[in-house]
Amino acid sequence: MPTLIIDNLTVTVPEGTNILEAARQLGIEIPHFCHHEALGSVGACRLCAVEILAGPVKGIQMSCMVPAKDDMVVDTCSAEVLAYRAQVIEWLMINHPHDCPVCDEGGECQLQDMTVAGGHGIRRYSGPKRTHQNQNLGPFISHEMNRCIQCYRCVRTYQDYCGGTDFGVLGARQRLYFGRFNDGPLESPFAGNLVDVCPTGVFTDKTYRFKSRLWDLQEAPSICPHCSLGCAVIPGARYRELQRRRARTNKRTNGHFICDRGRFGYGYVNHPDRPRHPLVGHRRVTWQEGLAALQNKLQELGELFGAGSIGLLSSSRATLETQFLTKRWATSLGSDQVCFEAHPVRDQGARVAASQPLDRSASLEDVRNCDLAVLIGADPLSEAPMLALALRQAARRGARIVVADPRPVVLPMACERHAVSTDKLARLLRGLSRPQQSALPASLEELGGSLSQALLSARSPVLIGGTDLLGPQGILALLEAAEACSQPEHPCRTMLLLGGPNSFGGALLSADGPGFDSLLEGMEQGRIKALLCFEADPLADFPDRKRIRAALSRLDLLAVFDCAATATVQEADLFFPTTAVEESTGTLINNEGRMQTFEQVLSAGTPIAESAGGSHPPRFFTRDIPGTDPQPAWGTLGALMGRCADLGALRREIEKADARFAGLSLLDANGEGRRIAIPRSRPVALQPAVANAVAPDQLSLLVTETLFGSELLSSLSPCLQEAIPAPFVMLHPQDAMRLKLEEGKKVTLATPLGDLTLILRIQQDMVPGVAIVPRLRGTALESLVPGSEPLPCRIEKA
Amino acid sequence: MSLWRDIKGTIQPFWVTLRYLFCRPVTICYPEQKQTPAPRYRGRLILTRDPDGEERCVACYLCSAACPVDCISMQATEREDGRRYAAWFRINFSRCIFCGLCTEACPTLAIQMTADYELATRELLQVVYEKDELLIDGCGKNAQYNFYRLAGIGVAAPRGANPGESPPEDIKSNLP
Repeated sequence: MPTLIIDNLTVTVPEGTNILEAARQLGIEIPHFCHHEALGSVGACRLCAVEILAGPVKGIQMSCMVPAKDDMVVDTCSAEVLAYRAQVIEWLMINHPHDCPVCDEGGECQLQDMTVAGGHGIRRYSGPKRTHQNQNLGPFISHEMNRCIQCYRCVRTYQDYCGGTDFGVLGARQRLYFGRFNDGPLESPFAGNLVDVCPTGVFTDKTYRFKSRLWDLQEAPSICPHCSLGCAVIPGARYRELQRRRARTNKRTNGHFICDRGRFGYGYVNHPDRPRHPLVGHRRVTWQEGLAALQNKLQELGELFGAGSIGLLSSSRATLETQFLTKRWATSLGSDQVCFEAHPVRDQGARVAASQPLDRSASLEDVRNCDLAVLIGADPLSEAPMLALALRQAARRGARIVVADPRPVVLPMACERHAVSTDKLARLLRGLSRPQQSALPASLEELGGSLSQALLSARSPVLIGGTDLLGPQGILALLEAAEACSQPEHPCRTMLLLGGPNSFGGALLSADGPGFDSLLEGMEQGRIKALLCFEADPLADFPDRKRIRAALSRLDLLAVFDCAATATVQEADLFFPTTAVEESTGTLINNEGRMQTFEQVLSAGTPIAESAGGSHPPRFFTRDIPGTDPQPAWGTLGALMGRCADLGALRREIEKADARFAGLSLLDANGEGRRIAIPRSRPVALQPAVANAVAPDQLSLLVTETLFGSELLSSLSPCLQEAIPAPFVMLHPQDAMRLKLEEGKKVTLATPLGDLTLILRIQQDMVPGVAIVPRLRGTALESLVPGSEPLPCRIEKA
Repeated sequence: MSLWRDIKGTIQPFWVTLRYLFCRPVTICYPEQKQTPAPRYRGRLILTRDPDGEERCVACYLCSAACPVDCISMQATEREDGRRYAAWFRINFSRCIFCGLCTEACPTLAIQMTADYELATRELLQVVYEKDELLIDGCGKNAQYNFYRLAGIGVAAPRGANPGESPPEDIKSNLP
């Protein structure tokens, strides 16, 4: 622990800390471009110079390259250092195109700040400026190479941190060029991070092009709602329009970066088709009329059929506050028919996952620091993209990554792959619970046994599973395996990928309450006459669409509270608009049991760009702002229960009612969140679902999540549409050869749900005998939902 | 002494009044008679065009940031050739204090002040000017300046063709 003096202040830092980081601990920010906390130092920009007055090295040194040592004396702003930095800035500005007024980085540009701080004003060099041609880097990133200062942050982010291979540095000397070999979209699903790391305007957000300046944006700490990891983000809004999302730093979860689904999935908030007014039978009404209609109908049904005829459904998109009040309202109505997930497998899976011992549940930070990760039935890039990035960081430190999955799991690094079919994953998990030594695993049990041995001897192992593929039994087996592979000094941690951003909260609140299948049975038998959906879309989320559609049509009342134009909203008798995540405050519990709150970024309202039709804002005075009807679902629930809409009081009430949520009212949206205090009790073992019989000449159809297009909210985002693939089906080369099918050709997939025409992709790394289709909302594949039992199917040439 | 001061203080003002009785009056009969303001008078704002006849304003939001009374609002957008311009641009002259900070902030010399001071009206909305009312056909006070001919991003001229720029590099060659 060296102790040194920086600017007459003494600081003690851990061994290996460089002077730049040590100064930051004292609150002294040394100007720099190329150093980044997550990427490390390279000493390329020469800006972070300091003068070392005493110590092993002396004179002007790059503070990011010199490790702090005992008895060092550092001066960060001596006259010589300031002159040096001003000189460096002047050099960096030699080729700059001087186009700040038309650059989107303006206002948040490190180069701009440093140029002003360095005192450089007039360009003295009279030689010609070097110029470059730009590239079209796809729908997300704009490229302007003339602004580059050669700090290498982009290459270090894209290649080293994110594992992308199609982008790098070309040229030599002052002609250095950061781009692809040819024009084309960046392939990495983490390419959006170039926008955040680039200290100038070489890489800017194309979806936010020319929309605003940082100083005009409304920003607040928020949580990404597009998967169960709960990454920290900062959305920015202006003129009632959510215009972008950028990464926020939370070292326990996402670190410094986010995935492209999170970054560009924001468009659902401004979607022109978003329903923004209360509707009674598709007729626009006021809130009072709508709520009165709802209460009258509920009272009528309650008197006729009893309180048990009212079912309440919330979802993993709803905040903890909404879920809590849903449950409270059900209690006050007298109904016990309340559940928090329309997908039975995801519901039960989340209930099991929420029972994992929380000292052993892994955060993304634990994954980044693990030395062995075993993924069973988890496809990180599709189900929780930032997990793939965390795994890559572990692999860069030398961790062993093992994937056992029927799907061709793609990770941004090399890993050990075992193609195991869905029904055999259980055997593998069984093997995992019984450690055994075998050099050449012949059977799955033996593979499981050798993995288990490796888990036992690893220093910080992590076992990762996905609820969609494993199901509740699989998750239970995985938790048991983790227990069996744990040593007291280095426990085997678990990370389970859940269905949505607040699946964990729903699982905690649902206790041993009914699942959606029991509500559905009630609806089919006519016991349940009314279904109230709070940010839930049972029509799209329940695996059997025919059955759910028939059940919903039997209802006397379907009331939906939602912020997106979902399939269920189209069927609703009563509709009430709710706010999106960015438009309200609330709490979400991520897949490791971390409670995180988010703050309001903007007030709900129709974007000015939309209400003005692209022209200037209207030229009349009015009190009414269009589209401000959406209310937070917890606020509406509070109003229905006759309570005042005080979030602080509500949070204190949640804390009081349930000890597991202790500390909720103290959460800081800018902080790291807080693990819930106690896990839920483990649900009783469930009967395994009956597998569909697959005839020998048939294939088994596996539906999976995919990066873009599967998750509801991001699939509505207009900026992501270009990245959503055309519907396709994946086959093993063996099956393709047997069926005489060719890559890239159209094929017909015959399923019990109907025939679909899809494009064939042949994948080497998957199991044979299975056809894999992604879930793509708004396409022919809409009705296929992941997490259901594999269906029998046939494929032939179209 | 104080008596003498009092007498002087009583007579002197009367003397000044008496003297000005025989001077030419400075008051003019506005609006029949109008005064010509100085060339740098800070009056109504306009948006000018560059010497090529294109809009100078790139909607960089600097004027609205500099405005102490927040009377300028706009939305930037992009033309097909990459030129950034204002989709709409609004100045609320009922709020404007004619301080000129926007013209100082403007990096493209687009927003300029004119000598027109006759903005008074009974209709509030008449002093809320939109882009078509602000944009003039001339260059205003500077007839030469063209931002896009100096900024090296290839909008007015092809990339690398502005004065003081070398042609774009061939990145696939390592020859010196």
